[in-house]
Amino acid sequence: MTATPGMRDLVHRLLTYEAGAGKTSEPMESPALYVYEKLRQSLGESVGVAGFKSLATRALTLARQDLPCLSTARIAEDGSLQGLSEIETQIDVDKNQTGEGEIILIARLLGLLRTFLGEALTLSLLRNAWPDEAFDDRYSTDGRKA
Amino acid sequence: MSTQDKVKINKLPTGIPGLDEIVGGGLPEFSFNIIAGAPGSGKTTMAHQFVFANATPERPALYFTVLGESAIKMLRYQQQYTFFDPVKLPGSIRFINLSQVVLEKDLGAVLEEITKEVEKSNPAVVVVDSFRTMVRKPQSDMDLQSFIQRLALFLASWQATTFLIGEYAEDELRDNPIFTVADGLFWLRQAAERNSIVRKLQIIKLRGQDSVPGLHTFRITDAGVQAFSRTFGLTGHIKNPPSQRRISFGIAELDNMLGGGVREGDSVLVAGSSGTGKSVLATEFIAEGIREGEPGIVAVFEERPQAYAERAASLGMDLVTPQKDGKLTILYLRPLDLSVDETMHSILDAVQKIGAKRLVIDSLAGFEMALSPGFRADFRESLYRMIFALTGMGVTILSTVEVDESFTEFPFSTYSISFLCDDIIRLRYVSIDGQLRKIMVVIKMRGGNHAKDIREYEITSKGVVILGKRLTNYQGLISGIPTHLDRPEAAEESAREVKIEPGA
Repeated sequence: MTATPGMRDLVHRLLTYEAGAGKTSEPMESPALYVYEKLRQSLGESVGVAGFKSLATRALTLARQDLPCLSTARIAEDGSLQGLSEIETQIDVDKNQTGEGEIILIARLLGLLRTFLGEALTLSLLRNAWPDEAFDDRYSTDGRKA
Repeated sequence: MSTQDKVKINKLPTGIPGLDEIVGGGLPEFSFNIIAGAPGSGKTTMAHQFVFANATPERPALYFTVLGESAIKMLRYQQQYTFFDPVKLPGSIRFINLSQVVLEKDLGAVLEEITKEVEKSNPAVVVVDSFRTMVRKPQSDMDLQSFIQRLALFLASWQATTFLIGEYAEDELRDNPIFTVADGLFWLRQAAERNSIVRKLQIIKLRGQDSVPGLHTFRITDAGVQAFSRTFGLTGHIKNPPSQRRISFGIAELDNMLGGGVREGDSVLVAGSSGTGKSVLATEFIAEGIREGEPGIVAVFEERPQAYAERAASLGMDLVTPQKDGKLTILYLRPLDLSVDETMHSILDAVQKIGAKRLVIDSLAGFEMALSPGFRADFRESLYRMIFALTGMGVTILSTVEVDESFTEFPFSTYSISFLCDDIIRLRYVSIDGQLRKIMVVIKMRGGNHAKDIREYEITSKGVVILGKRLTNYQGLISGIPTHLDRPEAAEESAREVKIEPGA
């Protein structure tokens, strides 16, 4: 099973939001990495560092099924994502694929959250990290317009 | 100090049906509480219910998780309960994991972390789950005591109502400083009784207000924890003065035997062996109430409501229409493993819902059998409390009870519950002229005179029909083997007939 289109849409939406936010502040190296970090901070508070690391490691394992070259990426003890920049260089031949590895990983992470907590609670947690975004009135995590 | 000089302690809703009554109206605001009990006893669920009932965006709840159940799993399972409102997360309810701090640092760092989060969020409610795992490292008593003191002081100062959850054994009550500091101590127990699990809740202490003492039954359903107060939530009710009004059975001859009917608010026991018409009499009692504009409840244990209504219809009584009109509720309380208190709460809820004036319990034997074996020991005590509470509210209760038919004795009830009843009507078989006929006698009426007559009756398509006048030509009617005063030899024949019956 691959990352669902709905989850990927949701991740793209978060990336768009962060990219937009980046225009007014300092240039952002990777919006996807920024989204991942924001999730790490936000979820880490409630599930703990170890809890987030377990989820992220599982998400990475699942993401490798979609993108085998993620095999060199790893989740550090504090839950941060490492070893991705080399992979991105490798897969970003086409510039449209920028951040594909992170997108799949984040989509898998959100998919796991939905599996464990359900749609409503997953969106609630996202709302905590992105309070300005009204996720549930435009999207649901399985890709359907709400 | 006069009442108006005393500080008023606000009472917060517990969010747990039945618990507000037990704790004396709600949980004292800013109190520092412990929920203790074995694994699986419902501690976390109880804390969640309190959190969801009280957390707001302005005064949120902080739920600190430590090494026990992970937050992901906790949320996964807790959202199955109907009280769980995902909209409250994370704006009103925030989960904060302290495992890292607990594992890597000391209690001082834990306190510092809690302090930081509380000062940041200004919470109304703080939960630490599980507190036991937080203090699991070997500490000197002083360290632990100091930590608890400082935590309690800090959280009270920040106007937070706190729950610490822990898996404690009862023998720890004496030595653990946490129990000294706590304002409220909620102990949850569950024990296996034969094949059933019996859950009980005790408020061991609660500073500042009266709680209902003793062990209260509780159940965990998809709605979460539900507690059943030993006082049935009727603590605040004022007992009505005894009524002098007489209410009818709808059977004129029986009303006459009762001195004009049953006194309103009495507890009536109809005792007799199988087939003597106890249920018919009870149905007529309830049907007459409905005719008189008195809503009724029938709690049945031995047949389903539909069958009960169909049997009433065969006797010319319509119990279907009043059910649709909200004048009658037939409660089927057969599921096994019920506790006596929750069964009685079901009855009380139904009584209060439709404003019932008459209640039939058909039968006490069925009621007792429907209970979990572990609760049967409490049956008489709980029944007494319920009858006392309901009759105090002016509800007239008719209970049926099956008694072993003996042709040498005349027992009122095998359950020794006659003391619960104001009035007793005894039905029994009697052998007369080669027939097994039925007689009825009013044994006792606490509220006044009643006929001493022994009357023969039949059950016809119109219900109970009392025949003729009292039976004056027989001696020893209540033995079941009477002697016809004009034909004494008939008694011996009857005795022979009766003797062969059990083996027949």
